[in-house]
Amino acid sequence: MSATIAILGGGRLAQAVAAILEPTGAEVRMWARRPAARRTLQKKLTHTTVADSVHDAAADAAMVFFAVPASGLREVAAEYGDCARGDQLVLHATRGVESGFRLPHAVIRAETCVRKVGVLGGPLHFKDLTSGRPLAAVLASRFDETAQWVRRLTQKTPVRVHPSRDVIGVEIAGIISNVSALAVGMVDALGLGDTARGVILTRGLLEASRLGEALGAEPSTFAGLAGVGDLIPRKVAATERHHKVGELLAGGETLAKALEAVRGEVEGVLAAAEAVRIAELRGLDLPLVHTIDMVLHGEAEAAAAIEDVLRLDLDLGGGLSARM
Amino acid sequence: MRPEDQERILTEVESRVVSHSVTARDAGGHGLDEVLAESIYHETRRLKDESDSKPARADRAFWREVRGRLNRANEREQRELLGRVVSRYAAEICGNFDDRVYRLSTTVLPPALGVLLNAVSPRKLLGGLDGAARLDEAVVVQGEVEHLRALHERGTVILCPTHVSNLDSPVLGFAIYQMGLPPFVYGAGLNLFSNPMLSFFMHNLGAYTVDRKKKDPLYKEVLKTYAGLTLEYGYDNLFFPGGTRARSGAIERRLKLGLLGTSISAYVHNLERKAANPNVYIVPATLSFQLVLEAETLIDDFMKEVGKSRYIITDDEFSKPRRIWDFASRLFGLDSKIFVTISRGFDPFGNPVTDDGVSLDPRGRSIDTSRYVLVDGAPALLPQRDVEYTAEVGRRLGEAFSRDNVVQSTHVTARVIFSLLRKENADVGLVRLIRVGGSRDDLELRAVYRETDRLLDELRGLSSRGGIRLGPTVSSGSAEEVVDDGLRHFAIYHDSPAAQRRGDRVFATDRMLLFYYQNRLEGYRLERTAGLTPALDAQHASLGTAA
Repeated sequence: MSATIAILGGGRLAQAVAAILEPTGAEVRMWARRPAARRTLQKKLTHTTVADSVHDAAADAAMVFFAVPASGLREVAAEYGDCARGDQLVLHATRGVESGFRLPHAVIRAETCVRKVGVLGGPLHFKDLTSGRPLAAVLASRFDETAQWVRRLTQKTPVRVHPSRDVIGVEIAGIISNVSALAVGMVDALGLGDTARGVILTRGLLEASRLGEALGAEPSTFAGLAGVGDLIPRKVAATERHHKVGELLAGGETLAKALEAVRGEVEGVLAAAEAVRIAELRGLDLPLVHTIDMVLHGEAEAAAAIEDVLRLDLDLGGGLSARM
Repeated sequence: MRPEDQERILTEVESRVVSHSVTARDAGGHGLDEVLAESIYHETRRLKDESDSKPARADRAFWREVRGRLNRANEREQRELLGRVVSRYAAEICGNFDDRVYRLSTTVLPPALGVLLNAVSPRKLLGGLDGAARLDEAVVVQGEVEHLRALHERGTVILCPTHVSNLDSPVLGFAIYQMGLPPFVYGAGLNLFSNPMLSFFMHNLGAYTVDRKKKDPLYKEVLKTYAGLTLEYGYDNLFFPGGTRARSGAIERRLKLGLLGTSISAYVHNLERKAANPNVYIVPATLSFQLVLEAETLIDDFMKEVGKSRYIITDDEFSKPRRIWDFASRLFGLDSKIFVTISRGFDPFGNPVTDDGVSLDPRGRSIDTSRYVLVDGAPALLPQRDVEYTAEVGRRLGEAFSRDNVVQSTHVTARVIFSLLRKENADVGLVRLIRVGGSRDDLELRAVYRETDRLLDELRGLSSRGGIRLGPTVSSGSAEEVVDDGLRHFAIYHDSPAAQRRGDRVFATDRMLLFYYQNRLEGYRLERTAGLTPALDAQHASLGTAA
């Protein structure tokens, strides 16, 4: 495929996407904010052009991929907005929110003229790439042509893209999975075992579904690849960071120290706080998210709080969205 | 519409619809014989219920012939037959001459017909009627009028009004006339054509006929193609995106976007043929009445069990000329205003546009909208994509309707009384309260004033933030003035007033009507401060189920 693809961001996700796209024949242009990072990428990536500006990377691109965390998404999107065009497809894999529980697709929409925004969700175990195993992902977009185009693009790659139209659901599944990763880190540090792990992950999914449904998501999304399919914590740096922070907090570390120890974005921290806020506004019951938020901010002790959550009735009757 | 355009549009409707059917068949869809068989089925069913009349007899003969020929038609003949059906539908749609109107007009209302044919000013027409204030004083056209005029010069406009009453059409016809714009093309239900009082305004709206009894999908496609082609030929259109009059009285939030989708097809076709002014603009218009002519019928229909409400109502207040006359003269007698608020327009993708017709992104940067419709570098239609674009337009329309809704004293008065009734009868379900009543149906006048005062504060705050508009009494009147004005309006028209004052108490005399008028303020979360839940949920489903 002779298309030009822009990757905005220069971190691990950006590099993994560039590596996936190598056999497609697409021209890949990557942009990173820091000049030093661009120089390093220039040396490291042989099949990718490193652009000096968002404009140089994205102006002629058929598809623009945002590989930045939620905290930097608006700034990069605003910069991209100067050269964005209505025919461009935009993808992101951001698993965080802005304050006010503003979802990533809404941030991109608020800063640009683009309509065809899609989110990549699901397991995305990038480390499987090295062993030659296929990668599976959900691509949610209100516009069917987005998934069709990406499927054509990736047909010679190990990526299997499953289409969905539920952008909100896939985003929320990813966002709350980070909160679950924090919880699982605590469970593991407390030595509560695999059963507790399973219960916590299931509860995380149940709460993601509950929140998603209230915000307009399809309940079935959480029973699919973006939800159940993503239950096993991903072997990616971001998830591992969340797990580690959970472990450190359960071990008695403060949030500031735990965040310092992992270095990098831990988007689940803000996600938990914002989810609690929106749940209060909408009268939703999210006990796991609420508990994790309290532990993160030193308002509850991890061991007792997790035990309390484990004791709650996990009623899945009538589907994942069943009210408790 | 210019006759030469009419002719060209009719020819093009036939060729487009037939070629679309052929393309769909070639792509694995229904065969032409199946398309025709479905038309025969739907039309035969419809005609079974039609009373005997000349047009019905002609229709029956036509469909008998189609059925007979279809049985032995080869592919070429099927295509020819399809062309005939499409052409017949198209001719019926664009020919707005109605036999019933003509007979009534020539026998019962010859002077009025003379007036209409001479196309005199509606000022003269209504100025000469006893008891009625002048229409131009009663209809207030406000908001982005200059913006609408500017867009009309830059491209083709689709005016999208809220739909409350069948009187919306004449009010809009008058508003368009008053704004100095040429007639807008408009699909009007057959029942509007059968009302001679409306003829003048129908002329001003450039109306074509929509027969809602026709369920044939081919008929609907002909309708959409016709509307789309009028846009391509540069004729401004008027679409009611609510599809039908809002039964609940609330601002429409669930819109029917099918016809609105023609904005994209017209834009794409304009780009393909490199039209000089290819742009199409969608401009919302929000109508606000103190009283609604058909309020009783509409709310009664709304309260019927889901699935039993009627999409088409032909026997309501609108079908009784005397009732319309009483309504208009009494309403205008109270110096009542009908507001037509024009909002800022947007493009077929939901982006706001400047007076110069330039589309802007959320940060105010100009956009090349032709990019939205490119497929492999050329403008093209893509049904799934275009449905999504139109859904965005629907959201923008809903926001504009909500923002530019003008609150009048009847809405506030009904809201206050209905909220207090709900609180007084907290143990009674909403539907039961509306239908049967609670333990108390009367309220202390002072309590009504107090609650009105509180609600006015909230509405004025919302209005100062641009969240709603207020009519003159609601904007600056005291609680007493607003309630008195509301009750005075309720007293002048409806058979049983929504509420009445007796001494120092207010009685909820028609709870259905109270519910209807208070619904105009649903969707603004005003009930939260009153400690209540919304009376209407998003789908209005709870009421239907409970009823």
